[in-house]
Amino acid sequence: MLSPTPVGRVVATELKPSTPHQFHFWTARESAVGIGAIVRVDAPGRTVLGIVTDGFAYSDLMTPMHDVIGADGDPALAGQAPTERAEIRLYLAAVLRQIPEEPLQPVPLGEVRLAGDADVVAALRMDAFTTGATPTGVPLGVYATAGLEAPIYLDADFLLGPEAAHLNITGVSGLATKTSAVEFLLSTIFQKFPRHKGSVAAVCFNVKGPDLCYLDQPAELGEEDLRLYDRLGLKPEPFQDVHYYAPYKPDGVNLNTLRTHEALAANTVPLVWGLREVLDYAEVLLNKDDVDAKADAFIGFLAERVVGRTYSDPTLERPTEVRSFADLEQFFRQIFNFMESRASGSEIWKNHHLATIRKVRNRLGNISVRAKGLVTDDGQASDLPWGKFADRSLHVVDVAALDPTAQDLVFARLVSKLREHLERRDLGVDHVVVFVDELNKYAPTDGPDTYVRRMLLDLSERGRYLGLVLFSAQQFRSQVLRRVVGNAGTALFGRMDMDELATPGYGILSPATKAKLAALPKGELMVRHPHFTQPLFVRFPRPPVLSGRLGVERFPPAPDLPFAPAVARQLRALDPSITTARVENLIEGRREDDVRRAIHTTRRTRPDHVLAFFTAQLGTRVEREVAPTRGVPALKRMDDPYEGR
Amino acid sequence: MLSRSPSPSWTRLRRAVAARGFTPASWIPAASEGRAEEATIQPASRVEDGPLSGWAVGQAEAWPGPVAFLDGTQRYEVMAYSGASPLVVAEVAAAVMERRDRQLHVARVARRRLIIARPAVLAELGDAVESHIAVPLPEDVPVHPVHDFQMARREVDRARGRLELEVGLAYRTVSSDWLIVDGSLTESPQWAADPRMIGVSKSHATLPFADQELELYLRLPSGHRSPVFAPAGREVAPVYSWALRLWPWEGKDLLHGLIRVEAAPAPETLDQADRLSRWLLAERAPVSTPDPRWDRLLYGIRAVEQYLRASSTN
Repeated sequence: MLSPTPVGRVVATELKPSTPHQFHFWTARESAVGIGAIVRVDAPGRTVLGIVTDGFAYSDLMTPMHDVIGADGDPALAGQAPTERAEIRLYLAAVLRQIPEEPLQPVPLGEVRLAGDADVVAALRMDAFTTGATPTGVPLGVYATAGLEAPIYLDADFLLGPEAAHLNITGVSGLATKTSAVEFLLSTIFQKFPRHKGSVAAVCFNVKGPDLCYLDQPAELGEEDLRLYDRLGLKPEPFQDVHYYAPYKPDGVNLNTLRTHEALAANTVPLVWGLREVLDYAEVLLNKDDVDAKADAFIGFLAERVVGRTYSDPTLERPTEVRSFADLEQFFRQIFNFMESRASGSEIWKNHHLATIRKVRNRLGNISVRAKGLVTDDGQASDLPWGKFADRSLHVVDVAALDPTAQDLVFARLVSKLREHLERRDLGVDHVVVFVDELNKYAPTDGPDTYVRRMLLDLSERGRYLGLVLFSAQQFRSQVLRRVVGNAGTALFGRMDMDELATPGYGILSPATKAKLAALPKGELMVRHPHFTQPLFVRFPRPPVLSGRLGVERFPPAPDLPFAPAVARQLRALDPSITTARVENLIEGRREDDVRRAIHTTRRTRPDHVLAFFTAQLGTRVEREVAPTRGVPALKRMDDPYEGR
Repeated sequence: MLSRSPSPSWTRLRRAVAARGFTPASWIPAASEGRAEEATIQPASRVEDGPLSGWAVGQAEAWPGPVAFLDGTQRYEVMAYSGASPLVVAEVAAAVMERRDRQLHVARVARRRLIIARPAVLAELGDAVESHIAVPLPEDVPVHPVHDFQMARREVDRARGRLELEVGLAYRTVSSDWLIVDGSLTESPQWAADPRMIGVSKSHATLPFADQELELYLRLPSGHRSPVFAPAGREVAPVYSWALRLWPWEGKDLLHGLIRVEAAPAPETLDQADRLSRWLLAERAPVSTPDPRWDRLLYGIRAVEQYLRASSTN
């Protein structure tokens, strides 16, 4: 329905003509029009919908000197003139859509009205994907101006593929806009992603603090937030099917995450990998100088011929079964022993140079030290549920406390595994959203060409065909590899730093839009989407999940416990009736490595009878045998033959 | 309340005129937007005692309450010739803008279009005259294009004066607020007698004093007014008048910043001449630049002119 009264009128002069893509209009001094407002121009046979991108105001004053003269040089008198000068509010609007679309013509002179709900839908071409038998709209927020509030939808076909995909969000840190926007958007996707498009899951990497640690806990939302949820047809509920993964601390029993409160333990599981998992992504551990054909060949040799099987070779002292880092170390030791025992000066072992072998050993050994807690020595992995991803399940991998190299390893392996499974169509879901914060760290414009950077580039360029979608965030978009952010079909912008806005990537934005971006309040963002021909400002409610800051207050992380209580806490996550005293009795006198192995297996298996299974895994207690102290027999007394010499 | 009449541009009329065999013309005389005035001295009679060199009226004071401004515009040109006889087209307009809370709003507006020529020429035009008011010129002298044009110009002046009166009186029926008229109140006895109307003349073509007195009159210092006098030759609509210097003239021109104020010829006018002058002094701001008459042109009057010109379709 047309708004009853016009708010402005199109003006076109020789110096400021209307074109097919923009037009000027003036309004009364007091009007609801502002930067980002959507307006409608009606002319016979043509309707034009546009968005305000810039505004100007000026009076009939030719030069400031005339104001000085009029006020006798006294600024205090300037405001006391009996008549206020005539003043204009002139706005520049960019055309969003013309109806009919052909022939494309300059915007006609006509009355300007604020857009209504239906106008907003038409202007943003949302009618193409929010109506019909198979709508694909996913709500993002509301466009709000002058008392009008119209829901804004993103097209799932262009958000999660296959037409376009990926989302990138930029904004200054500290306002929680980036994280909140992603949490809210994931919630809307889980609630509104059309069933006819298949199933969807998400994998989020928590790379700093407690940001993503409480996605299964409800937020306390205010009335305004609840009203927005209602307006968007969403339920303000936290995620229902959430799984947390975190590596251990170096002690191997306390989880290396802020989510250690016992109330949250049920769906927080360890992320533990063995040698096989690491070796497959050894390239991540190698720097540019390391990456050569020789190292590659030797790693390939290890992966194919050594790891996970019994390796026999005449050059080695005995057949070796390599299942853990400890086994691998033994394997390397045998090689070095052999090389040292050879009489000749040759430094080649089975076509591999000794230096290459040493380099690979150093790198692999390094990760087992630097990522102790993630990488286990028992050869058994505790991993994401490959092949069993459930529809609308959310998997959060907390790598915030990990060493950067270990973070890269986690990231590379998980994304690669997702890709492999999606290629084989055996992941369990059709689409996976991968959320990565601090993208400028993983795919910087400048910096080494790392495995992770290449993988992100590949993901952004080809992921949409597989249903693998990258949601990424960073503070400075200009510092991220352009091809990665450029491939994001949808871009969100929170409050921006003026320095960042001055970079060439924002050249298409008007000064007014930049000024608005620089002062954007929390809960508001600018969106670019393939269907929207111009950026649009959108308000969204607070996410339905507990924020990291409140989560830490409500669920303070449990302090690190000594070995036995830590084991008990882990078992209680599976069976709350298990007491620390009982566990202490069970593991007393056991080797810590054996206990770790048993607890890992128990958590992996999640048996019905937890304590019985755990006890069985511990094996038969080998009682300590104390050998009687026999002492060192005294030397037989004999005469000193040198005595008296 | 606005009253508007649909006014198509002169393009269609120009085509119709050309189609009837007239000789096209496009002569827009200089100063075609102003009224013609002849310079003269008409000695006035003094109503108020005091030196002609005037006295300070005091600090400027904002006008209390709402106040309205009335002005008119005119525009005319020779559109064609029938033989040697010119066909003049004109548009006259008048409006009142009311000021409330420092904001100006249009309160009344009227616009007329005239087509002025000898009766035979008007007959030739037939229905091409359309929405124009046909004004016949006298035929008692032979056709002379310049003389005919001068007669047409006087008709335009008269039409504009009538329209201003019409608009002013219409405004008076709905408001009793102060009304400032651009020019003289002597156009109408009603205006001249109205206790809440004042006329502000920027033009000094007609001066009230001569010789030594004129010199004193024209050298009023800034912020000073002359004694009140009764201009001569205003028997039908007598008024009281005085000069007021809005801006210092020294170093510029004798007439710089000098206005002549007219008000009802009543004892109250004498009582409030100083106060009215102080109110008018406050109207110096905002300055009406870039108009070259900014030193005498009140911003409210200029706003009316601007409005009438901006809303003209020609």
